[in-house]
Amino acid sequence: MPSIVTAEQLSKTFQVKVRDPGLRGAVRALFRPRYRDVHAVRDVTFRIEPGEIVAFLGPNGAGKTTTLKTLTGLLYPTSGRVEVAGFVPWTGGPPFKRHIALVLGNRQQLVWDLPPEETFLLNRAIYDIPEADYRERLAELVALLELGDVLTKPVRQLSLGERMKCELVASLLHRPPLLFLDEPTLGLDVTAQDAIRRFLIEYRERHGATVLLTSHYMQDVTALASRVLMINRGRLLYDGALEALVARIARTKRIELVLGGGDGNRVTAEALAAFGEVKTFRFPNAVLEVRREEAPATSARILAAFPVADLSIEDPPIEEVIRLAFARGVEEGE
Amino acid sequence: MIKRYAALIRNAWLVDLQYRASIVLWLLWGVTEPAIALGIWWAIAGDGSVAGYARDDFARYFFAVMLINQLTIAWDSWYLDRWIREGDLNYRLARPLHPAHEAVAENIAYKARTASVILVVWLLVAAAWPAVRLPFDPGRWAITAVAVLLAAAMRFFISFTTGLLAFWTTRATAIMELHAGVSLFLAGRIAPLALLPPAVASVAGVLWFRSMLAFPVDLLTGAVHGPGAVLRGLGGQIAWLGVWIVAYRIAWTRGIRQYGAVGG
Repeated sequence: MPSIVTAEQLSKTFQVKVRDPGLRGAVRALFRPRYRDVHAVRDVTFRIEPGEIVAFLGPNGAGKTTTLKTLTGLLYPTSGRVEVAGFVPWTGGPPFKRHIALVLGNRQQLVWDLPPEETFLLNRAIYDIPEADYRERLAELVALLELGDVLTKPVRQLSLGERMKCELVASLLHRPPLLFLDEPTLGLDVTAQDAIRRFLIEYRERHGATVLLTSHYMQDVTALASRVLMINRGRLLYDGALEALVARIARTKRIELVLGGGDGNRVTAEALAAFGEVKTFRFPNAVLEVRREEAPATSARILAAFPVADLSIEDPPIEEVIRLAFARGVEEGE
Repeated sequence: MIKRYAALIRNAWLVDLQYRASIVLWLLWGVTEPAIALGIWWAIAGDGSVAGYARDDFARYFFAVMLINQLTIAWDSWYLDRWIREGDLNYRLARPLHPAHEAVAENIAYKARTASVILVVWLLVAAAWPAVRLPFDPGRWAITAVAVLLAAAMRFFISFTTGLLAFWTTRATAIMELHAGVSLFLAGRIAPLALLPPAVASVAGVLWFRSMLAFPVDLLTGAVHGPGAVLRGLGGQIAWLGVWIVAYRIAWTRGIRQYGAVGG
């Protein structure tokens, strides 16, 4: 099957006006404006296959959202080739737009003063959705998102989580094969975040949709994405499975211990330090960091040396890995 | 497309109904300006006339201004400026419907609502005050309707195109304010063009300002004499509409290319 998204050497440069501070700077900018090039995306190349869930990872201003907006045709790239669902996004016109959904976590299409159902009806007309399909899809989405009585309340009275769920409904009524989600869980509480994640997984299972998302929340990524694209300063640093990234970046593993033994022969932090770096110690719990390849052998030695009630070997927290990856620029782990 | 327009207009009206107070305020705004202008000219005219306009002529003129201004006015530059600067254009660009259609539908919704109320007010006033009655003349009304349609289309493209300047500048609405200020005089909002100095009136005629408002108002009140003058007026409207459509197309295709899609 051909790729559903292809980006080759995609670059986007913005021209930003620069102005010196103060009145003199303002006057000078008026007569002789100076511009600075900001390279939001530089030579980014990737392909996405139908049915994948791919997450864009990166700090603020890394170029994630710019990439997403270029793929949806909102922005014209400065150079490079993009093909999405068989279309060039910015010339694809309405036929292309019927293939995609764009959900922006900090912008809403719901009409603020009306109940969400009015926006759904509007989209039914805009996307030419037949009445029967509309009823069926709305019922399915409402059930999956547990929206129930929310549909008839004015949008301004809804919680942030309810609004985002309704945004998803409005964006999916035309059943697009490709979903672009920019920070879909932004500002939501844990329960609402979780509901949105479960929904996205279920929706993809049912309809085989391809999902591209950006998020600040690592949980979105770990729960949803089989693949991550790491972007920093406009460049693609890593493209692949999250686990492979962890294996590449994290040279250590954490051995988490629950120690046994009575008060008489308590294990001390000093004793543990002989086996690895003690990250935390609060009897009976301890966390040791050891070299990745030595983790199994070290665990065996610890089990032989101390009374241990429980032992588990974990990767370092994903946030830690990502931080390291950005700090080192990923390649170092190779 | 009719279904889409119906849905867009329906939503616009539903939103309107949420804000009954603002409807009244908009209406007052639409009535106040011509009412003040009429009051001033009423006092100036006294028992005589100014440039051929007696009190009754002024009354008919400003009632026509009140109605036709509401039928042709366009607020799109304010909407577009906000859409572009705050990123509300983003989801509109992701839909299979050009944002201009939403703007046109909003215009139809707004005009139907305000103009129908003003028409009722006019009819009520006319029942008591013969001066503002118009002679029954379906032919003239039909030509006026065509001129109003052309004026509304042109003012829409002027407003929409000016709003598109927000792609390049943060002062798009200031430019529109300036245009509104000039049109206060040149479009005939504050006085019939016949009362302006001839040089100024001819500028209004050569540029698009007369086509915006004064020409359809003069048609309705019977101040355009002879088929030649009617055809010249309509021709001017069509020509300027064409110019503004071209300006819109240029602004849209260039602007969208360098759009920054701000704000998420």
